[in-house]
Amino acid sequence: MSRTQTRGTKPSAVSRALARDRLGVPAVLGFVLAGVAPLTVAAGVIPTAYATTGLTSIPAAFLVVAVILGVFAAGYVAMARHVTNAGAIYAFVARGIGRPAGVAAALVALVAYSFLQVGLYGALGPAAASEAATHLGVHAPWWQWALGAWAVITVLGLLRVDITGWVLGVLLSAEIVVILAETLLGLARPAGDHLSFATLSPAGLTAGGFGVFGVLAVVAALGFVGFEQAPVLGEETRDATRTIPMATYLALGLIAVVYAGAAWAMATHTGDAKVVAAAAAQGPGLLFGLGGGPLPQIAPVLFVTSLFAAALAFHNSCWRYVFALGRENVLPAALGRTGANNIPKAASLTQSVTGLAVIAVYAVTGLNPMTKLFFWLGTAGGLGVAILLTVTAVAVIAFFARTPGHHGENAWRRLIAPALAAVLLAGIVVLAVQHYHTLLGVAPGDPAAWILPASYGVAATAGLGWGLILKFRRPGTYATIGLGAHAVTAHLTPATSERTPS
Amino acid sequence: MPQMSNDPRVAASRQTAGQSVPVPQLGGTGRVADDMYLMAHNDLSGKPYLQPRALGLGLAGGLLAELMLAGRIDARPGEIVVAEGAPRVGDDLARHVLGLVLSEREPLAVAEWLLFLARTAAGDVARRLATSGYLARAGERRRWGGKRWVPVDADCAFGPLVRVRPALARSRHLTLYGACLAGLADACGLGPRMFAYAPPNATRRYLDEVVARLDPGLRYLIAQTQAAVGSAVLSQRV
Repeated sequence: MSRTQTRGTKPSAVSRALARDRLGVPAVLGFVLAGVAPLTVAAGVIPTAYATTGLTSIPAAFLVVAVILGVFAAGYVAMARHVTNAGAIYAFVARGIGRPAGVAAALVALVAYSFLQVGLYGALGPAAASEAATHLGVHAPWWQWALGAWAVITVLGLLRVDITGWVLGVLLSAEIVVILAETLLGLARPAGDHLSFATLSPAGLTAGGFGVFGVLAVVAALGFVGFEQAPVLGEETRDATRTIPMATYLALGLIAVVYAGAAWAMATHTGDAKVVAAAAAQGPGLLFGLGGGPLPQIAPVLFVTSLFAAALAFHNSCWRYVFALGRENVLPAALGRTGANNIPKAASLTQSVTGLAVIAVYAVTGLNPMTKLFFWLGTAGGLGVAILLTVTAVAVIAFFARTPGHHGENAWRRLIAPALAAVLLAGIVVLAVQHYHTLLGVAPGDPAAWILPASYGVAATAGLGWGLILKFRRPGTYATIGLGAHAVTAHLTPATSERTPS
Repeated sequence: MPQMSNDPRVAASRQTAGQSVPVPQLGGTGRVADDMYLMAHNDLSGKPYLQPRALGLGLAGGLLAELMLAGRIDARPGEIVVAEGAPRVGDDLARHVLGLVLSEREPLAVAEWLLFLARTAAGDVARRLATSGYLARAGERRRWGGKRWVPVDADCAFGPLVRVRPALARSRHLTLYGACLAGLADACGLGPRMFAYAPPNATRRYLDEVVARLDPGLRYLIAQTQAAVGSAVLSQRV
């Protein structure tokens, strides 16, 4: 056989046709923000954070964390230009630091996203129960509503009746409009007719010691979870060098402004000194009470849909990890197979079983769902993501240092920004772990304050161990770690995912 | 697009008023994409067992496999290589695909070809099957698009599931065609459907072994198809 001389003078028709099918910035931004679920954070996380931590610098924390994540993103999206993999974070760690570290990162991510997903049932149940009691006169305990939501998500996962993009888009836009309206109305009527900027000042973050900063930063990081998802669509984008960075920075900026604004409005509307007590008393009502008119009626309903969308998005994140690891044979191969209609049944069911077990435990023990399920597991998830981002920043440095020519990336993107981000994020993680009892609002030495952070130690150790076992026992599988869906092509091609510019 | 197959297997046709109307055969058309299409749809109702994008990617793999089995092209990392001077074979659709490959100025990776051909493969292959007498438009008009393609003869539509059986369990009837068909069908998510009708001693391990014995080009094509479908599932754009 010989290479055929090809003819034609126009730019490739195939490439042009493929480019038309690929995603642009709005589509990727929509995908990212759907997982971020703004109202979940604004109405769920922020009031609970005020109440549980007793700290008032939450608005400033969002701004500072946005800057830190922006620095992190410089290296992250630079690496996304060269490593396209729908598993994103753990693939980056595997390529940068090493394959056992990649498995460890994958398991930490799985635990973190599971915490986030399952935690959402703790807010979804009570929110749906209270809406049903108010408007429908239906009185049922929170866990029955949580189980209902769990069942719907399980069925959606098994039938693959995806909520279409535009439904999520409309809900998302409505959420942002509601938050902005509540924020502006709250700021228009500050407590004592004095607009206080104190909670926005970064100085407040360290006023109570650096530990306070660590705790607040984890809460803020929890709010941003989802922004790191854009590279998942790396293979689907029109222009991998532009689309992913644009979507990531736009998401970061938008989230920072919306959250910091909402948290600031809550503090300034109720009074900086009273916000903690008000948050404890009102919960999500702290946000809904900022505005008048139809807002107090609309916002709680949107809060329920937002929680549901977030639970669905994190459910998808979870099975995506399980499925990708199954495709690599790092987890049992059955988890990487699809059933009828290309539905990743086994992977999806695995996450559903976890959700059911956790809801059952909380229902039986009668623990408070809003604080001990939603906030505890949610913040634990936030900590997990902070750990992942820290390790990823290190992986970015290692990846570019290892490649001669550094793939043409400048020193800021491949070295300075990731190094800065790694140090700052590591600082946040260490401070947060040291002051975890403050984050949870429990006494120092409470078992929950060490069990939750320790779960990542267990996951990371198990991942490293399993990675090393694979190295010696199953070198074929070991070679494919971090390749995700492309694992199957690994033994036929050099260990890179095939992607040609289009 | 194809008008009439010149495949000898379809030549067995009824003479009706001097016009030749092709009749479906239990042996099939002998074309990989045709058999994959039939496997991917219910043999009675014509309802699909795959998501649209996965079906398209699988059929795209099938169309490339047809040209590879005919010796016209070969798949390698980063490019598709066209054989010079190979005999003119295939039907209109196969020639159309070959024409596309030939008209590309720069070599494109197999993954790109799969994505490109996947856009139209389902319609193209359905029309080719209709021309060969295997499918007909029938049933209620769907809310979007036209009527569904329905198999003319359910037994013929079930045929491919029989043809892949030797690739699922040890058998002396294993052919290159059957191995390639089974490998590609599994790659795009038809594994559960194949194994539902497989012999009792069928194992996934055996199928993997059969695929591993194929020549590098076909193995590469199957792996790329599997990767493309896996990526589509992961990014939830199936």
